[in-house]
Amino acid sequence: MTASAGAPAHGLEVVDAGDGRMIISMGPQHPSTHGVLQVITELEGETVVRADPEIGYLHTGIEKSAENLFWTQASTVIERMDYLSPLSNACCFIMGVEQLLGITGDIPVRAQQARVLLCELHRIASHCVWLGTGGIDLGAISGFFYAFDLRERILDLTELSGGARMHPNYLRIGGLRDDLPEGFLRKLDELIAMYYPRMRELRALLQKNPILQDRMIDVGILGADDAIAWGITGPALRATGVPYDVRRAFPYSGYEQYEFDVVTRTEGDAYARFMVRLDEMDQSMRIIEQVRKKLETPGPVMIADTKFAPPPKETIALSMEALIHHFKIVSESFRVPPGDVYQAIEGPRGELGYYIVSNGDNRPWRVRTRPPSMYNLQVLKKIAVGEYIADMVVMIGSLDPVFGEVDR
Amino acid sequence: MPSSQTPPAGGTALDPTAVRPDIDDARIIRVTPAEIRATLERLKGEGFAMLLDIGGADYPGREPRFDVVYHLIALTSGARTVAAVGKPERVRVLCGVPEADPTVPTMSDLWPAADWAEREVYDLFGVHFSGHPDLRRIQMPVEWEGYPLRKDYPLRGPAREKTPRPSFALKSNVAAGTPASGRTAAALQRQIAAARGQTPKDDAK
Repeated sequence: MTASAGAPAHGLEVVDAGDGRMIISMGPQHPSTHGVLQVITELEGETVVRADPEIGYLHTGIEKSAENLFWTQASTVIERMDYLSPLSNACCFIMGVEQLLGITGDIPVRAQQARVLLCELHRIASHCVWLGTGGIDLGAISGFFYAFDLRERILDLTELSGGARMHPNYLRIGGLRDDLPEGFLRKLDELIAMYYPRMRELRALLQKNPILQDRMIDVGILGADDAIAWGITGPALRATGVPYDVRRAFPYSGYEQYEFDVVTRTEGDAYARFMVRLDEMDQSMRIIEQVRKKLETPGPVMIADTKFAPPPKETIALSMEALIHHFKIVSESFRVPPGDVYQAIEGPRGELGYYIVSNGDNRPWRVRTRPPSMYNLQVLKKIAVGEYIADMVVMIGSLDPVFGEVDR
Repeated sequence: MPSSQTPPAGGTALDPTAVRPDIDDARIIRVTPAEIRATLERLKGEGFAMLLDIGGADYPGREPRFDVVYHLIALTSGARTVAAVGKPERVRVLCGVPEADPTVPTMSDLWPAADWAEREVYDLFGVHFSGHPDLRRIQMPVEWEGYPLRKDYPLRGPAREKTPRPSFALKSNVAAGTPASGRTAAALQRQIAAARGQTPKDDAK
């Protein structure tokens, strides 16, 4: 490979660093970086001696935008952070606001169940993207179509629930916008029926594929001590043997009622992270099946207090108070008592947290995200050292970053 | 940087932090920049092995103006079963940082996780972390001026407000109602009609 200093700063730029070392800039338009990630890589031969990920190419200032929106509007932009599982973002933020309002205990059971259902559906959808694109990184094209077909059916369900495929803005402070529509449960049953056969196919295509195993086993090894020190959470932490799952440690939205296993592996390599995510999808489906049974019981989906919930449409024509409440919620939202709260949930990538500060106004004073994929991606600086440059895409894929959340 | 947009209407509380400490699971500790290093070292020794997050917050009018917020969790690598992990303790350390000297010692040697988190607080709030090995902007471009998440930073930049949007302002023909090609729909119809040897139907005349 010849070195060419001063090449344009996009694509693969190669610079001779002297003493036989070479600096390669991967990205930010590299197709295998799952978004806009640039990794400045220093190589000795084919071995990585230094990797410096550069982020910020997708910075959209969502935290700043959220400070300038009403409490009721903020979840719309917050949903767009982790665009592969939008409802986990909205769910976490909304539960934080409910804590500040002191209405956590009043959220109707059916709304909590629907939140669990949608969060788990989106966990599967998000892992489908990771599985499909992760396979493509390694040359396994077919798996992508099987995984995206499964995701497509989950997006169909999302569309049924809130009207939009990706960002339905369906969860509201105090419950849900509407009840799940007619036909939702029937479509959900269809998904449940096709899920296990589809996963069998996916496992046959990918999990047992000797080429994929060769590429992933013993690549990007991360020990439990390092994972703790680097703030790694989620599947990447559980692949090192530490069974920390926010759903178990700090149950929210009724997770304590559902049976599921916290999947762990001990190897800590890319294949362990791969296996943890695959097995986690099955556990998510277990939860979904349990929620499905509970959803047979009808009930309210929104808190009764019309200070926080817009009153039902049919009451507006009959009651002056209902009209006033509706007008006030839409035109100036509501005020949240002063305080700060840290609310965490188990997102598909790890502990997703929101540190929310209210100063008593009708807009959030500060919304700080604890982005799991930013901390997970940061460890690339450590695990890439000593590996081959060709394995860089395997390691990035196994950390499963989503750049809407890393950069926000 | 001058503000071209007033910040959101001021609420009631100048310092809303820790006014309702029992609202979540975390223990809340408030410290000064001089004490933060010793406090976090002590907490790490007590078993708070994981630094979850470092965030910032801006409270103009309060002294000290900024907060750097550390979230820790008592999670150790020795916990190998769900029961051993249990319900780990959380602690939130709020470090007030004065505007006159916005400097906090770095924690990146205690926790490598602090590296990017401190860069982000520096980038968006302008709080410096002394001893950080590589303190440069992380989200914003390197040549950016100002600190976007400060409350006096406008939602829309002043440069952007003063400059006319280039898309339509420079195209005078758009303003005059003529496409860039010079061919209006009426002119096109006249041309077609002429090619067919018909008398043009011109409603405008």
